[in-house]
Amino acid sequence: MSRTTVSKGLYGAWLGLLGLIIVAGLVAGIQLFTKGHYLFNTNDVILWSLPLGVYIFLALTSSGLTILASIPLVFEVRKYEPIAKRLVFLAIATLLGAFVSIGLELGNVFHMIYIMLSPNLSSPIWWMGFIYSVELVILIAKLWRLHIGDWHSSLSRLLAIVSLIAAIVAPLMIGSIFGLTESRVTYFGPVMSIYCLLMALLSGTALCLLYHFIHSTVTGSDASEVTRGIYDDFTRIFSFALGTVIVFTLLKIAIESATVVPDFLNYRQYAQILGGIGKFNTEVILGLILPFILMAIPSIRSVPTARLIAAGLTLVGTLAMHMEILLAGQSRPVGPKAEQYPEVIAYAPSGYEWMVLLLSVAVVLLLYTLGERYLKLETAPE
Amino acid sequence: MPRYAMVIDLQRCVGCGACSIACRSENNVPDGIYWSNKITETSGTFPNVRYHYIPTLCNHCDNAPCVRGCPTRAMHKLDNGITMHDPDKCIGCKYCEFNCPYGVIYFNWRNAHPYWRDETVLIEGCTYSPADMTRKAGGKILPNYNPERDETLAGIRPKGVVEKCTFCDHRIEKGLLPACVEACPADARIFGDISDPSSEVRILLGKFRPFRLREQLGTDPHVFYIRDFNPAHYQPTKGGV
Repeated sequence: MSRTTVSKGLYGAWLGLLGLIIVAGLVAGIQLFTKGHYLFNTNDVILWSLPLGVYIFLALTSSGLTILASIPLVFEVRKYEPIAKRLVFLAIATLLGAFVSIGLELGNVFHMIYIMLSPNLSSPIWWMGFIYSVELVILIAKLWRLHIGDWHSSLSRLLAIVSLIAAIVAPLMIGSIFGLTESRVTYFGPVMSIYCLLMALLSGTALCLLYHFIHSTVTGSDASEVTRGIYDDFTRIFSFALGTVIVFTLLKIAIESATVVPDFLNYRQYAQILGGIGKFNTEVILGLILPFILMAIPSIRSVPTARLIAAGLTLVGTLAMHMEILLAGQSRPVGPKAEQYPEVIAYAPSGYEWMVLLLSVAVVLLLYTLGERYLKLETAPE
Repeated sequence: MPRYAMVIDLQRCVGCGACSIACRSENNVPDGIYWSNKITETSGTFPNVRYHYIPTLCNHCDNAPCVRGCPTRAMHKLDNGITMHDPDKCIGCKYCEFNCPYGVIYFNWRNAHPYWRDETVLIEGCTYSPADMTRKAGGKILPNYNPERDETLAGIRPKGVVEKCTFCDHRIEKGLLPACVEACPADARIFGDISDPSSEVRILLGKFRPFRLREQLGTDPHVFYIRDFNPAHYQPTKGGV
């Protein structure tokens, strides 16, 4: 059997697997909208769970990818142009996955028209939805310009600049959804917005590195000297992003440990839902500190497998960090809800929540696969 | 335009829960959802122990975080100060519930009143199913369905949207008091126009030092609590060292 036949077989199997997951996810989605969201393991204390965590993770990752794409497209660092189109495409596909997740999380997605008909400009959720919608449209337009070879026209640059602004503001809005909740002080006020922006850059860079490794392995393509140089640089950006998130996380842990504000004293009881060592949560150790150590040692950093492991750990770690923050701030009933619910609510995702995660990821992967096949993502200007 | 508020006199409140039952009947509130609720607390250790009971409902805050955060203005303020919800605009994001510092907003995770939708009969040919019972009683989903609730809000809210106390806005429009106020056997709930200096609520707020829940958040709640029930007494003492 020829290598081409095997490749075609694997490709078909891969598409078949993604198709199966998507069909199963759609069935789960239909059930959610016909039976109700009690199919999630949520309640009136833990309102937002895994689907929202997946949304935050994918949306921020998309923002991170857009910010990376702006290095060649806005700041005109020409040596990164060979991967610019791919970054824009990855950002689009990842954002669409995020929309799938949030769509299935919302109780009544069919009322979304009121986001436009009855906007509330004081709502961070409205701004988040608006900005991400704008970002998606702009990114698609930008991809189209790149696809037809228009890299440097005024329109093309304008699209890149607007998408960069959207990619910076949208994570700030996600952060402010939590940070503006004055009744839940453990979400850390305005600092949460900065955290989300840093996490966007971190997960976006991690996905970029992971994607490159997997793509070059699957296609068997040897990276050129130029491409290797680009990913060496991106590995450094990845290390810096890890470093900044670690600094932020250490600061957060220090404040949480030192303060005697009652909300924080309560918060400490369940700030390590996924376990931890001392003050450090498991996902912080495995998803932040370990990858940082790997990337801080030059001899390890240059090994592709080490980059793969670091990027993979970081991606899983960032999702877990979003979940940890999301759940820890909701674990205690507010006000009279303490009459109905225990003092602390335990949470594990239901099968339907896992299906939302799988569906979102499958949609992203399917788009990646089709994009690679049909969109000539490695093109760069002459 | 009046600005409605409620005073709850904790000395008069006997903790009977009639307010919650009346609310449930008036507004067709489903199981697991509480427009009218309570915070109970036990302080001290036996034999020096006290039980505290604070009735709760939507505070109809002037600076309502739920209204500020709602992306579609489904949660909105009426001119009379009532915080109202429009299920037709609600996308079910639950941000109002997340944002409410008082825990008085609930989400409809499923179709309301599942018990009364059940078509199963206990003994075939002998008993009615819950759904039969509703039909025979002429109700809509519930046998004791109150159609008056439909006048300003869906009588039974659909799944996928939130719901909460509306100060019985449909009754106020007709010059009636909220159902919880009407049902209180101890007259512990006093309702009225806080902008009117001669209203009972204004008089009581001037006479007693009120407190509001989580006042420090700046939400400006319009449910006020006065006095406290405490029958205990003690011998005058200066303590000791």
